[in-house]
Amino acid sequence: MIRRIAFTLPLLAALLLPARGEDLPYVYTKWKHFTTEDGLPNDHIFAVRADGPRIWVGTEDGLAMIDKRTGKIRSWREKDGLPWKVVTAIDVDPKTGDVWLGLFGGGLARFSGGRFDHYHQLNSGLVNDVVYGVAVENDNIWAATTAGASRYNTVTKEWTIFTEKNAPMEEIWNYAVSYADDKVYLGVWGSGVLEYDLKTGKWKEYLDPDGEMEIDLYRDDGIAHVITTGVSYVDKILWVSSYFGASRYDGRNWRVFYNQDSGLPSDFENNMKARSGNEAWYCTDKGLGAIMDFKTNTWVAYSRDPKTLRGKALVTRDKTVLEEIDLETGVPHSFMIAVDFDGNDVWVGTAKGLGHGIGEGYYPGLRTRPSIVAQGR
Amino acid sequence: MTARIVVLLVAPAAVAALAADPVYIGARVCGNCHAGPGMGYQFSLWLHSKHSQAWATLAKPESKKIAQISGIREDPQESFTCLGCHSSGAQAEAWQKDDTFRVEDGVQCESCHGPGSEYATEAIMKDRAAAMKAGLQMPTEQTCMTCHIVKGSHVAVLASPQFDVKKGLAAIAHPAPPNPTMESIRRAVADGAGAKEGPKYVGSEACGKCHRGPQNGYQYSVWRMSGHARAWSTLSSEKSREALARRGLTGDPQTQPYCLSCHSPAVAEGAAAVLPSFSPDEGVGCESCHGPGSDYMAEAVMRDPRAARAAGLKTPDEQTCARCHKNVHGAEYELRREKIAHPKRPAPVAREPDYKTPVNLALRPDGKELYVTCSGSDSVAVVDPLTRRKVAEIPVGGQPDDVAFTPDGRRAFVSNMFDDTVSVIDVATRTVTKTLEAGDEPHGVLVDKQGKYCYVLNTGSEDISVFDAASLEWIKNLSASRRPWSLALSPDGSRIVVTHTLPRLGPFRAPPVAETTIIDATRATVEDRPIFPGANLLMGAAWHPSGEYALLTLNRTKTLVPMTRLAQGWTITNGLGILSLDGEVDQVLLDEPDIGFPNPNDVAITPDGRYALVTSGGTNRVAVVDLNRLTAMIRQASPEDRRRTLPNHTGKPTEFVVKHIPTGINPRGILVAPDGRHAYVANALDDSITVIDLAGMTASARIDLGGPAEITKTRFGERLFHDAKVTHHRQFSCATCHPDGHVDGLTYDIEADGIGISPVDNRTLRGILDTAPFKWEGTNPSLSRQCGMRLSVFFTRLEPFPPEELSALDLYVTTIPRPPNRFRPLGADFTPAQRRGKVIFERTRANDGREIPVGNRCITCHNPPYYTDRMLHDVGTREKQDRQAKFDTPHLNNIYDSAPYLHNGMANTLEEIWTVYNPNDLHGVTNDMTKDQLNDLIEYLKTL
Repeated sequence: MIRRIAFTLPLLAALLLPARGEDLPYVYTKWKHFTTEDGLPNDHIFAVRADGPRIWVGTEDGLAMIDKRTGKIRSWREKDGLPWKVVTAIDVDPKTGDVWLGLFGGGLARFSGGRFDHYHQLNSGLVNDVVYGVAVENDNIWAATTAGASRYNTVTKEWTIFTEKNAPMEEIWNYAVSYADDKVYLGVWGSGVLEYDLKTGKWKEYLDPDGEMEIDLYRDDGIAHVITTGVSYVDKILWVSSYFGASRYDGRNWRVFYNQDSGLPSDFENNMKARSGNEAWYCTDKGLGAIMDFKTNTWVAYSRDPKTLRGKALVTRDKTVLEEIDLETGVPHSFMIAVDFDGNDVWVGTAKGLGHGIGEGYYPGLRTRPSIVAQGR
Repeated sequence: MTARIVVLLVAPAAVAALAADPVYIGARVCGNCHAGPGMGYQFSLWLHSKHSQAWATLAKPESKKIAQISGIREDPQESFTCLGCHSSGAQAEAWQKDDTFRVEDGVQCESCHGPGSEYATEAIMKDRAAAMKAGLQMPTEQTCMTCHIVKGSHVAVLASPQFDVKKGLAAIAHPAPPNPTMESIRRAVADGAGAKEGPKYVGSEACGKCHRGPQNGYQYSVWRMSGHARAWSTLSSEKSREALARRGLTGDPQTQPYCLSCHSPAVAEGAAAVLPSFSPDEGVGCESCHGPGSDYMAEAVMRDPRAARAAGLKTPDEQTCARCHKNVHGAEYELRREKIAHPKRPAPVAREPDYKTPVNLALRPDGKELYVTCSGSDSVAVVDPLTRRKVAEIPVGGQPDDVAFTPDGRRAFVSNMFDDTVSVIDVATRTVTKTLEAGDEPHGVLVDKQGKYCYVLNTGSEDISVFDAASLEWIKNLSASRRPWSLALSPDGSRIVVTHTLPRLGPFRAPPVAETTIIDATRATVEDRPIFPGANLLMGAAWHPSGEYALLTLNRTKTLVPMTRLAQGWTITNGLGILSLDGEVDQVLLDEPDIGFPNPNDVAITPDGRYALVTSGGTNRVAVVDLNRLTAMIRQASPEDRRRTLPNHTGKPTEFVVKHIPTGINPRGILVAPDGRHAYVANALDDSITVIDLAGMTASARIDLGGPAEITKTRFGERLFHDAKVTHHRQFSCATCHPDGHVDGLTYDIEADGIGISPVDNRTLRGILDTAPFKWEGTNPSLSRQCGMRLSVFFTRLEPFPPEELSALDLYVTTIPRPPNRFRPLGADFTPAQRRGKVIFERTRANDGREIPVGNRCITCHNPPYYTDRMLHDVGTREKQDRQAKFDTPHLNNIYDSAPYLHNGMANTLEEIWTVYNPNDLHGVTNDMTKDQLNDLIEYLKTL
């Protein structure tokens, strides 16, 4: 890689390189790919969830688990008891270790001790079988479905449905669900983000004042768009992805990110996950965009050249390219669908395989370091 | 209306949708208009009827007897089942009963006419159509039959004839005169004399707030059943008017001071003599004899006899009575006095003795005490293994099942199956220091090797509660399989194996698959769930000292062959499962060709790992299994033989069962002492422990736990229920298919055709006495028929029970209690979802506004208190195997714990009954419902 960069990048690229010792974000330069050749049941990766030494992977045709301790991959298809082949969401109950699966068209499943329990709209109180998201909240399991959100209490066995009847959902197409700090967040297609406060049992809605317009008349006045696809609440910061841009809310001020003025690879985001109030990763149709330092709007965007199959990490600040790092092995594909963190590592699900970014020496925020390119890496 | 207002203030959102829902206002509100001659004395006619005493009669010994033979453990006046017909509004929430409503008034106007808050105004009631629109109902004969349908329990105790509904309606007829004028029960009070000094009458209702229940001799109920309580209402009779006329008086006797002076003395004293709590209709109330109570009624005063006397409490004597009962003296006086006697401690009524019924045992870590759970006496017996005597008995919760010590021996945990709790016993003081809330019907209990976690198997809710064994805080629930039963810790303390009695819910008419759950004891998480194909009723569990495998007792029930194959000896077989660390699963039988090994309840292994001891509850034996021979046999078998031959071969047990040791009656739990010298067996049905000398493999002693010597008919029946002697080659007992008196979760082809016709889901025996007919096809009108010849022909293939045994068996079966409903304790408010579900259950119109035909409403066929009309209906569930389309309407009490559903068990969940098996709205109109409505309906159903 050293020689390649040295020889292939023209002088212009060298001019873009920052001066030595500038504050720069951490860049994942070591990536490993997992595909069907490695034992995954399918290369279309729809969900990934790190659970200690186990990495759970939901695909278009099966579930897989990578055991980091042994390097072995186990997989389950319908013939192995998986109730439905398309696994679109995964969460793990931290108390019981049970794995909850959102099944696209097949409902919800609990994978516990090797047994799949299948919950669908005919045999249970689940509102709909098209499940996009799943989240464990204490003893409750939340499912974001195409016809509302469902909550299943694993202790009382009670199902509760949230739709326009009892929640401020203008639309009931729920894309995403996450839980943090006694609040459940729903990303709803056309209804922005809904926050359910467990303590009060009340809903709060976060909308785009511009409604469903695809242009943002007034910037930073709310979420980028009401068609939301992912939501993550960390360090009291709400991060949101949508089909038309990304957003961040600190409880007082909104900040919206677009491809035109940030390192976000595309405004079409399939999903997102935040690592902190300062760092969040967006899965877009043109790559993985990670805002690594919110204050300075410093991003790292990871993508793969479909022709050369080489990876690229692009470090930008306010759209100014700080580093453009060529990677022999980068992310497996630029169409990003899922992301999760595993300590310093990161796992990404793409349209062509699973990527494992090894965060050796990872640091949050910015740090004064020499340019990776300048270092000749 | 106060209660309603409070609810509106507290939960406006929840109640807003129900704003038009009526609430119960009580008979006395009706009496504000429907009293007096102008209304045909309607209120008095009710007060004089048995309906008004329906609640009070639950205090009678006969009621207790009925409850007892119906498996109702609670006091009848606190039983939802009893109250369902003996009071109004039993199913209603507290907010649905106004402050004016009194359950003590028994079956009131609103039982037949519907809750009255919305129609009980003069303006509305004068317009019948408006009243009907506002909720007034006019009862039909069917309304009466909801409660007056023949109940086996009542016939057995009261010998009551079949109810003639026409005569019954005639008896309670209360027509209004042609031109009715509304008159109040308080009209006499309003006519009272002037002001009165001194204590005031508070009314018997106020006395009844304390003087009730078995602890007070049901004093209030005794009064309500007496003629005194009807002294005022009797003045409405023609006879009273004639008596009045004979004295040259005219008018309404209920307002005549002359009559009132003895028939309602407080009223006679005038309005100033009574407080608002006093109701004039009470007749001769408590205060008529004991004096007006306003000054002595306070509990603090009443607890001090001298203070109470000083405050006006009188002790009535002959003179007191003579004031009205003139010319009643001597023996006649004593006779009448006896008639109204209401001692606080009435003479004890003969009741079923408390047998001990020991079911499980645990040895204190220091080996000095044996704790034995006694499910019959709600206690733990403490036995000294050296002296072999019971040294103490510790009261715990209802139906204790299992017991486990902490490693330091300072605490013991006891699962209480009936109460859904765990008793924490301080071993040093032998007292329960704390009671933990567990899940539904907790069975097995275990503490890990470090003493960190306490695991409790919730058999009904099918999960595992994990408690912090030190702080006693609940941590989490782990998912189990169906009806987790017992558990065992591996020798190194790293794993726990959990058995389950019911197989997993699977495809319709598929062989059972039983699960064992392996818990990682270090993390308290589920590690694995090995399955045993073709098996069910996994009960006892024990690890081999090597830790290489665990043994489990099991059944292999072949449900896809007709029961006729019992004669060939392989419909229900009994054996052991071997679960190896490497994941291998083997099964062997303990049955031999000529004698089965029914009800293998528990297993224990000697410390040297050489022998396993297995109890057979149905043949009163312990089998001694040579484990070296058993494992060698398995090792030498081919994979095919291990999969197909060994699990079904009745000739194999002779290769590894080296001895059978006789025990007491119905051995359940077994324990081998760590020193390897003795084993202890809990004999459930003769209240004893069998001590086995392991050196000689003989029963060396019997420890008596002190149960009653008398064997009652019920106990005799219980023994028969658990004894396999009635079945061909002793293959099974009644308890095999009905563990805990409940279900085994299987569908059987029990008819003699042998070709799979009419497979039927096994049904619970809990609380079924008054739910006849029996059998899904409804062909057995009585339990005697169900358990008599039919049992012999279709199940047991031997001679039927002789009459005296059949009678005892049936009696026992009826006494199997139904556990309290864990989704809604008696009197508890509904959750919002349950409340919405109740509205759907009782709805008369579909979502689009069309009226649902009466016959297609939930409440029509599933009416309380059992939620069955006990009739056959075609609900569109007939399958090609079925002979008929109409099936018995099942009762819905505790319906949540008896999956699968429908007559053949084809619905695995309650939801599937309607989402899959009701395409044409024949099983109620449900296809218009939204998913959230169906969820609400199910939440309500689970409360029944």
